[in-house]
Amino acid sequence: MKRNEQTWRLLVNTKGQAVDLYAYPSALIEGRLAGKYMLSKEKLPDTVVVQSFTGKGILAGADVEIDASAAKNLQMQTAKIPRSGRGGPKAVGTYDYADLIKQASKKFTPAEPELDDPAVLLYTSGTTGNPKGVMLTHRNFISQTELVDAIMPMYSKDTIILVLPLFHVYGLSNGLVCGTRNGCTMSLIPQYSPAKLLDTISSSSATLLIAVPSMYMHLLQLARARQTKIPKSLRLCVSGGAPLPVNTLNEFIELFDTQIAEGYGLTETTSAVSLNKTGEQFKAGSIGPSSPGIEMKVVDDSFQEVPDNTEGEIIISGGVVTPGYWNNREATEEMIRDQWLLTGDLGYRDSEGFFFITDRKKDIIVRGGFNISPREIEDVLAEHPAVEESAMVAVTDKRGRETMKAFVVLKEGKQTDASELLQLCRELLAEYKIPKVIEFREILPKSATGKILRKELRDEQGSDQRLILKEAPNE
Amino acid sequence: MSEFRNLSHMLDTVTKAYKRKDALYFEGKRISYRELNEQANKAANALASMGISKGDRVAMMLPNIPEFVYCFFGVQKIGAVAVPFNSMYKGREITFILNDSQSKALITLSNFANLINEIREDVPSLEHVILTGQRTLVYVTPEATLNLQIVCGKSKFSSPEEAFRKIGEIFVDVLQSYGVDAWYKHRGGVRVKGKKIATILVSEIENLLTVNVVLFLAHLDTRDLFKVVWVTPEIKDKVLEPSTSVEEETGTRPDTGEFTDALMKVLKNRLDIEIEPGSMKRDELFGYEKVLSLAVK
Repeated sequence: MKRNEQTWRLLVNTKGQAVDLYAYPSALIEGRLAGKYMLSKEKLPDTVVVQSFTGKGILAGADVEIDASAAKNLQMQTAKIPRSGRGGPKAVGTYDYADLIKQASKKFTPAEPELDDPAVLLYTSGTTGNPKGVMLTHRNFISQTELVDAIMPMYSKDTIILVLPLFHVYGLSNGLVCGTRNGCTMSLIPQYSPAKLLDTISSSSATLLIAVPSMYMHLLQLARARQTKIPKSLRLCVSGGAPLPVNTLNEFIELFDTQIAEGYGLTETTSAVSLNKTGEQFKAGSIGPSSPGIEMKVVDDSFQEVPDNTEGEIIISGGVVTPGYWNNREATEEMIRDQWLLTGDLGYRDSEGFFFITDRKKDIIVRGGFNISPREIEDVLAEHPAVEESAMVAVTDKRGRETMKAFVVLKEGKQTDASELLQLCRELLAEYKIPKVIEFREILPKSATGKILRKELRDEQGSDQRLILKEAPNE
Repeated sequence: MSEFRNLSHMLDTVTKAYKRKDALYFEGKRISYRELNEQANKAANALASMGISKGDRVAMMLPNIPEFVYCFFGVQKIGAVAVPFNSMYKGREITFILNDSQSKALITLSNFANLINEIREDVPSLEHVILTGQRTLVYVTPEATLNLQIVCGKSKFSSPEEAFRKIGEIFVDVLQSYGVDAWYKHRGGVRVKGKKIATILVSEIENLLTVNVVLFLAHLDTRDLFKVVWVTPEIKDKVLEPSTSVEEETGTRPDTGEFTDALMKVLKNRLDIEIEPGSMKRDELFGYEKVLSLAVK
């Protein structure tokens, strides 16, 4: 065996800064490449650099947004890696997108898939178990664009804000696909912050915004603080993913001089199936009537349609409904019956054909044989002036008994205590609906669209999943 | 039913009607429908050249950047199936989705290279990983982090795989000598039970290999970080992987100098090399100053 006689060089930098993480190897690489091929005959040794740091610091790629003034206040050094062209270091075993694109032709003969071929798989997580891949076909997406044409036409002169993640059905279908179909300009926001959203609306003179309730709340807070710099270009805003509080809605349309439509839909329906738009037809709290091309019904447990104003499960049929879950026939059969999609949402239709959601089937809490809707209790807590939002969850107490816990987030600067909130519940609710425990939180866990993730709250509590009646997909 | 045969046909039709119109507006740049369509064609060609064809699944773990749009329509042009998923997902969720969908390729951000490296062994169907965007984010504090970098010729290791493994084992050795029960996870992660204590990234440029390791000596306090990089409050805990540090595992933060010495000793033995203190050469210093001035404006 040949004895290895290499000598490596050690550089120790005890006064390192974040930028050195990048500057050292770049310099060494440059030195070695240059040394080897061009400048000197001396072969530079292989090098080890050990660094410890003298201050807090961030090293960020060109696409990361950093609040420079906050960094300055916190005495945090920030360093940006300049945008590198071709030929920079790349992680081993991978392809660099820019390299691939550079070599590729800009002409392509499309493969022409059939309308009923799958175009997308979107994974949704259920109450329990693994996520399921919802298959969405070309027909599903094109049906969604036709539905949008009918209920909220978009035009090529529109600029639409794509702040919702495109990996979610709402942003992908209503934002990207519908935006493209109508030749709109799409303004992309890769990393949401309230200020970034407000600034992008202004700088791109956006006319359409699709967002979730928490974003409308944030925008409102910012707009209240800024007053004079509120953009008035938005002609229509769509809110979905979770209900938008009516007072937020009203204040928003006034301050931004716009309209808001609340949409309802699922991943399994390629996003929207109904829309409730402010104006003459508006009904507070409703998700609107079913859209053209969509059939919506309310049925009881034996799949029979119930009369108007009677609660049942909402079921949907139409071109937007998924053919099923990827490689999961069992879940498909559970969700789709005779072309009807079972939404797992409880609600009713009024005599004018407007639908109202009352609860999620899976969120129902069973206590002493009674079904309790968490939303009913949350609505009561929301009446307290200090409460921003809350989530009711069934948990198991230390002695293994089922009990109800309310997680409450207070409005900024407002205060209250558990006894005051419990007093409010006692005044307005039946005894068995009153939460046993109230816990105050800074935030509640939420999905990408702002839906409260009760499952996470339950899991934190080590609760018993048997409290959940039926499993149904969320989002 | 419709004037469109599929999503690819839809984009082609719209492009014909609105060639010069802005399709995308991103960070002050405007991209016309013609450019968008050309970029989608390029993405389709690139994917096709890797053997992606009709019906294949292509996973996409990307934020809202133009590359998402190009790749999404590129996939549609091939007649393949796009599998976009949450860019906040962690290893276990990503592994499940890639395996369930049997995705052949994954397109993601360069800063997720490490995350993907770690799970790659568990997703045999994944043939190609394509990286884009420049969203690296490293946070250091004087108390918590120690950094090791190696720049060497590619021939020092028989494969990049071996570089990951050897460096990983070196850190496991040193950490164990400090009483930390660390183990090496495939490609890039050194962990204590489920928690991360060190991250390894191996990159290549021409005939060189660079290895970058961040090790936690003490608890990394990220409160200030989130005042500077805005993340929605709900997902803060999801952005960070659970991590631990030498101090959290043993009760003492090791002295940096002593730790460096211990690390060098193991490095010498394991790589069978000599290591001698040195300094940067003239060419390197020049390069260093140049990079520094560009990065801190």
